[in-house]
Amino acid sequence: MDNLGWGLQITALGMGLVFGLLALLWGLLTLVQRWDRPAVAASRVEAAPAAEEGMDPALVAAIVTAALAHRAHRRREAAPAMRSHWPGSQLYASRWVAAGRARQNQSWQRRGRG
Amino acid sequence: MTTPTPDPLQVLREMRSRAVLGGGTQRIEQQHARGKLTARERLALLLDEGSFQEFGALATHQVSQFGLDKQRFPGDGIVTGFGKISGRRVAVFAQDFTVLGGSFSEVQAHKISRIQDLALDSGIPLIGLNDSGGARIQEGVRSLAAYGEVFVRNVMASGVIPQISLILGPCAGGAVYSPALTDFIIMAGDSCMFLTGPDVIQAVTGEQVSAQELGGPEVHTGRSGVAHLSAATEGAALTLAKQLLAYLPQNNNEDPPQVRPEDPATRMDEALNTLIPADESQPYDMRDAIDAIFDRDSFLELQPQFAPNALIGFARLDGHSVGIVANQPACMSGVLNIDASDKIARFIRICDAFNVPLLTFVDCPGFLPGTDQEYGGVIRHGAKIIYAYCEATVPKVSIVTRKAMGGAYVAMGSKQMRTDLAFAWPTAQIAVMGAAPAVRVLYRDQVRTAADPAQREAELVAEYREQFFNPYRAADVGQIDEVIEPCETRPRLVRALEILRTKVQQNPPKKHGLSPT
Repeated sequence: MDNLGWGLQITALGMGLVFGLLALLWGLLTLVQRWDRPAVAASRVEAAPAAEEGMDPALVAAIVTAALAHRAHRRREAAPAMRSHWPGSQLYASRWVAAGRARQNQSWQRRGRG
Repeated sequence: MTTPTPDPLQVLREMRSRAVLGGGTQRIEQQHARGKLTARERLALLLDEGSFQEFGALATHQVSQFGLDKQRFPGDGIVTGFGKISGRRVAVFAQDFTVLGGSFSEVQAHKISRIQDLALDSGIPLIGLNDSGGARIQEGVRSLAAYGEVFVRNVMASGVIPQISLILGPCAGGAVYSPALTDFIIMAGDSCMFLTGPDVIQAVTGEQVSAQELGGPEVHTGRSGVAHLSAATEGAALTLAKQLLAYLPQNNNEDPPQVRPEDPATRMDEALNTLIPADESQPYDMRDAIDAIFDRDSFLELQPQFAPNALIGFARLDGHSVGIVANQPACMSGVLNIDASDKIARFIRICDAFNVPLLTFVDCPGFLPGTDQEYGGVIRHGAKIIYAYCEATVPKVSIVTRKAMGGAYVAMGSKQMRTDLAFAWPTAQIAVMGAAPAVRVLYRDQVRTAADPAQREAELVAEYREQFFNPYRAADVGQIDEVIEPCETRPRLVRALEILRTKVQQNPPKKHGLSPT
């Protein structure tokens, strides 16, 4: 029975320590979150008057239109930022295609010439 | 007392400064006054900022006759080198009109040939900016031989690396053959191309014609079909060149650049289901179908004014580059004629050379009848389409939207042209010939002996249409793989090309085929 009591004491102490530390961490995170929040709100508050004061809605619309036109132009030119793969890079992902292309481009050679 | 040795670095810097000025500030101002840019300004617009590396900037000619010894300019009227367009390596040359009118010299040929050799060895596209008054007469036969040096390299590079020519000024005499041997020609502003100029024409034939009427962009993009695209300004022409290059690979071993798809592959445009008019004699614009099926704003039509009864161009499907060949029912009912055949056949071969899958939209009542066409050789011109389709080994998919009659059906991407997949819309009419002529051939006696021949003929035409004017007979015999709803076309094509992306087909070994001419 002595051992059981000792065991229960150690268990309670261990679990208490773990839960205690978890609670401490939770508290710390909550504090950090509260500390961060006003800063975000402040930047939003600061940005709003700037948009209201300096940006004519027509100008905003013009900028958006220009940005979209520029993006479409870059797509048409397949600019690097718009590409999914570097040109030619996919070819080597398939040995079938790479070997096949090599054969296709040698079709003018006579049969039996390596 | 010895004279001080000039600082070698100072000497080099002075020579480079002279080279940058071309024919001098006065000539540059004259060029600007004509509304034209200098060679270096053009290259600055074409290439990525800071990417240009020049070669041969200090080369000069060694001719002393006709006072040429007093007219030596570093570079000799041409700027050559390497640069990048959207991060892709390209070889470029730009003729400088400020130096002796950009006249073509032996040194120019050496510089162009050097760039052509390096481009071919490196497997990178070549872009030439042409602005030259013609051969440098003072150099005599050396100038003519110089042309030949460039031509042979154009031919060797043909089908291996993309070659794009921009005509940004005059391009006359033998000089026209180098652009003509390249894959694409883009003309700008008041540029012109002709073999013999207005003065020679007037002297020989007495015919009076201006340079623009003889070989301006309107002539070559509309009537002759020599040029593929034109632009009002040099800047716009250079932009077109960049856009065109975006659909092409670096060389014949590689694939064209892929763009991240933004248009969903499964998008279905319901408007396609009502695109074909109920009345079969009513035209519709095939461009509407193309715009609805392919990635938004991705269609770059080539030769839009030449043979407008056929459409060719590049587009993107799920971000991948594809070549589109189509009949245009909005013009001459989409018939095939001599010019349309040439236009289509050439484009098929370009796509095949550069690994661009081919998608064919068929709405063609047949070949244009008439003595003009027969005397002009419509047989051999039409045969070019068949030859090109049969020879092509890239993925090929055809879609019959409405009429596919007779020889035109066979030529325009039938299964026998080694088309990989053939789709048809429910509005497709696949038959040997139109209903009325077919009835006249098949039931001539029956119609003649009928109590009311007109009534009987109308009945027989209706019967023939019921039987043959649909895609289902063709589907029965395997000529059509699947009849699809028009709005399904985009997802179907995306999936079809996904399967065919690794297609490899090899033609029998030969020195070269003998394509009809």
